[in-house]
Amino acid sequence: MRIGLFVPCYVDAVFPEVGVATYKLLKYLGVNVDYPMQQTCCGQPMANAGFEQKAVPLAAHFEDIFQGYDYVVAPSASCAAFVKLNYPRLLEGKHVCQTSDKMMDVCEFLHDVLKVEKLPGVFPHKVSIHNSCHGVRELHLSSPSELNIPRFSKMRDLLSLVEGVTVVEPERVDECCGFGGMFSIEEPEVSVQMGTEKLDSHIATGAEYITGPDSSCLMHLQGIARRQNKPIEFIHVVQILAAGL
Amino acid sequence: MNSKESILSNIRKNSCADYEMPDIAVAAVRYDDSLQQFIDMTKTVGGNAHVVQVDEDINDLIRSYYPEAVNIVSNLPEVTIATGNPDVVAKPQDLDGTDVAVVRGEIGVAENGCVWIPQAVKEKAVYFIAEYLVILLSADKIVNNMHEAYDMLQFSDYGFGTFISGPSKTADIEQALVVGAQSACGVTVLILNHR
Amino acid sequence: MSTKHTKAASAFLSNKSRAQFLNQSIWYVREKRDKVAMQLAEWEELRELSSSIKRHTVTHLDTYLEQFASRAEANGVIVHWAKDADEHNKIVYDILQQHGAKKLVKSKSMLTEECHLNNYLINKGIDVVETDLGERILQLMQVAPSHIVMPAIHLKRQQVGKLFEDKLGSEPGNSDPTYLTRVARLHLRNEFMTADAGLTGANFGVAATGDVVVCTNEGNADMSTSLPPLHIVSMGIEKVIPDYRSLAVFTRLLARSATGQPSTTYTSHFRKARPGCEMHIVLVDNGRSDILANPQHWETLKCLRCGACMNTCPVYRRSGGYSYTYFIPGPIGINLGMLRSPRAYSDNVSACSLCCSCDNVCPAKINLSEQIYSWRQGLDAIHKADPMKKIISSGLKYLYGHPTFYYMGLKYAPLINRLPRNILYNRLNAWGKGRELPTFARKSFSEMWKKGIVR
Repeated sequence: MRIGLFVPCYVDAVFPEVGVATYKLLKYLGVNVDYPMQQTCCGQPMANAGFEQKAVPLAAHFEDIFQGYDYVVAPSASCAAFVKLNYPRLLEGKHVCQTSDKMMDVCEFLHDVLKVEKLPGVFPHKVSIHNSCHGVRELHLSSPSELNIPRFSKMRDLLSLVEGVTVVEPERVDECCGFGGMFSIEEPEVSVQMGTEKLDSHIATGAEYITGPDSSCLMHLQGIARRQNKPIEFIHVVQILAAGL
Repeated sequence: MNSKESILSNIRKNSCADYEMPDIAVAAVRYDDSLQQFIDMTKTVGGNAHVVQVDEDINDLIRSYYPEAVNIVSNLPEVTIATGNPDVVAKPQDLDGTDVAVVRGEIGVAENGCVWIPQAVKEKAVYFIAEYLVILLSADKIVNNMHEAYDMLQFSDYGFGTFISGPSKTADIEQALVVGAQSACGVTVLILNHR
Repeated sequence: MSTKHTKAASAFLSNKSRAQFLNQSIWYVREKRDKVAMQLAEWEELRELSSSIKRHTVTHLDTYLEQFASRAEANGVIVHWAKDADEHNKIVYDILQQHGAKKLVKSKSMLTEECHLNNYLINKGIDVVETDLGERILQLMQVAPSHIVMPAIHLKRQQVGKLFEDKLGSEPGNSDPTYLTRVARLHLRNEFMTADAGLTGANFGVAATGDVVVCTNEGNADMSTSLPPLHIVSMGIEKVIPDYRSLAVFTRLLARSATGQPSTTYTSHFRKARPGCEMHIVLVDNGRSDILANPQHWETLKCLRCGACMNTCPVYRRSGGYSYTYFIPGPIGINLGMLRSPRAYSDNVSACSLCCSCDNVCPAKINLSEQIYSWRQGLDAIHKADPMKKIISSGLKYLYGHPTFYYMGLKYAPLINRLPRNILYNRLNAWGKGRELPTFARKSFSEMWKKGIVR
């Protein structure tokens, strides 16, 4: 099984440690993982802004780079969801779309494909899970609070494998943080209001860290926390899972 | 082409999909004790539900629930305390000022405390204009859910019927629940024939 | 880079206590919906059935409308067909005129808002009295509703108290909701008693029987139609449903989704006029039959007008109904507004973070967020996309499409961290309005990989 690692543009630039943790963890678990160069972005920022056609060349390029891998794994729920749900439509008639079926967020991959049951790390901290919208409602990382279906959370399952972690969740467990890509700058006041309330609800759990599958949400919340001088740390789930590696 | 034809022809021209009617066979909620569920839901929606015992008289019960009522309106022969009959008023406005109206319900729905009342009086205003509404309902007419109710519901020749679930209410001011908006301020369901 | 919605929402949020009040009040309704939805094991099955029944009905709309109209006519009800809002208004007025009706009491109908019926009739000398408490409050205030089910949710009791003092002579300083509701009851009772005609909307029109079904909590639709001798129903053509078996599904979903109640207090079926009286139904198209031809958006015709989507919408709850330029706000409003006129209502398309919560609460399973995304793609073609968004998107396309420049960008990005604050955080920096910029890593992942540091 050959895995192609996709490190999204903003993770590459702002949170490279998330990419590193992903790589280390997959290698530790015995996965044949490669990082093909020349990858840049999945195209979601333009698409959410209303210019999905500008993402088509990126999608075609993505297909080329990741040809031949069995799975494409990314530490970003929204990027994984974007590729999965939109690439077939964007590439219709132009390019055979294979990555849609192969694309997975790293939490999905660890939980559903590798079915990880043991992890070596210790992370003796209380963490509050940020259930990113695309992760919950498009990738089914956890049961959406609106639906009457059995409750589940893949991230809780994975975090329970790390010694010392105490997992909590905020009230309004999967309400949007307000990032939304370009929404964050087209409607900055609403975006910051949503983010502030989300941040405060995480802080109210008494957690030391806010953790989630999507660094974009964390980047937005972190920006607000720093501006408002609210002391709480941010960490991607995969970094906790890779603790000690 | 008149508007009807124009609208229908536009619909036919524009329809871009075709879906079949689904089979409506849902395993809807059923209660072990639908009578108790009906009683509980009636209370939840702000009404009273009273199972009439063998030795109880409905007229005494109505008096005890509404001791200050003066104008009691009903066309049901068993309501001997009625002071007025909604079938003999000259106009529906004459029913304004009714303290208690006593009417018959035909189906009780356990899942939501609804009672189906097909119009059985000359002026349907009686169901809505009274300060308080008393509904007589037979215990053996309580069903589990709306699917069962809609399967068996009947109309009278008047061509009007209503499901009533508790008293009228509103939360339009600051989401504060106020019982008694434009219609009944209180509803009592007297459940008869319970064995 | 901001739309009318952005600006209005910003103004709305500047009053912090009002904003908090609205968010809490409406979230509470979402919680109530959740509670009752979780009580029914068959909830998701009901939603799926509701969606399927509506899809079937809407794609066979001509058949069901004809059946509905002929049944209603067989029951002695007079059925009219209105191609558009103007025709609807004219028909309603003509009916009132024929009966010499001067005072009309009406229960809530978003369709009549859509058609601007009230102003039309008032200009022709008809006294129009809204009888839903929330709508009556707004009518007396001469403002529009801010939500389709809880129209006055944005108001505080003191505002209502002052209004009733001025207009209804209530006790000065008394803003207790129960007291105010009693004042309204007496006032509206008088209106019901003296009305010449009653107008209702229709939650459902049952094709198999010709019934018009109206759901209320207050009983105002029934009071409006039990006293005056004339009943007019304004019904959108998409409100028709096949039969009672379908109706059972919808009545189980509607109130639970809208307000978290197991049922509205009154679910009334109007099949015939009262003896000696008249009942009319005005079936209204006003663009609905055109929507059928739109492959991406025809499913908005499934809408039950329950308001669940706006209750869950995190953007609606933080901007309020008045921030939207269309009379229906929230996720369904964004879509309906664009269907009404993309040029006039494109400002609302920004009011969405694409969180998809609305899709999950919609009792008819309309793909609301997907449709909003789709409208966004079409904005540039009608010259309604913000130029800044286009510039940024083109810039990103170039940057990401040329890895050499991308890697160069990554190399120099950390310099941004060192720029002085007054350069970084200026009026042009929309991200900086409330957030610190992220810190660019000194070594990006791709650079570390290239240098063999990632092991």
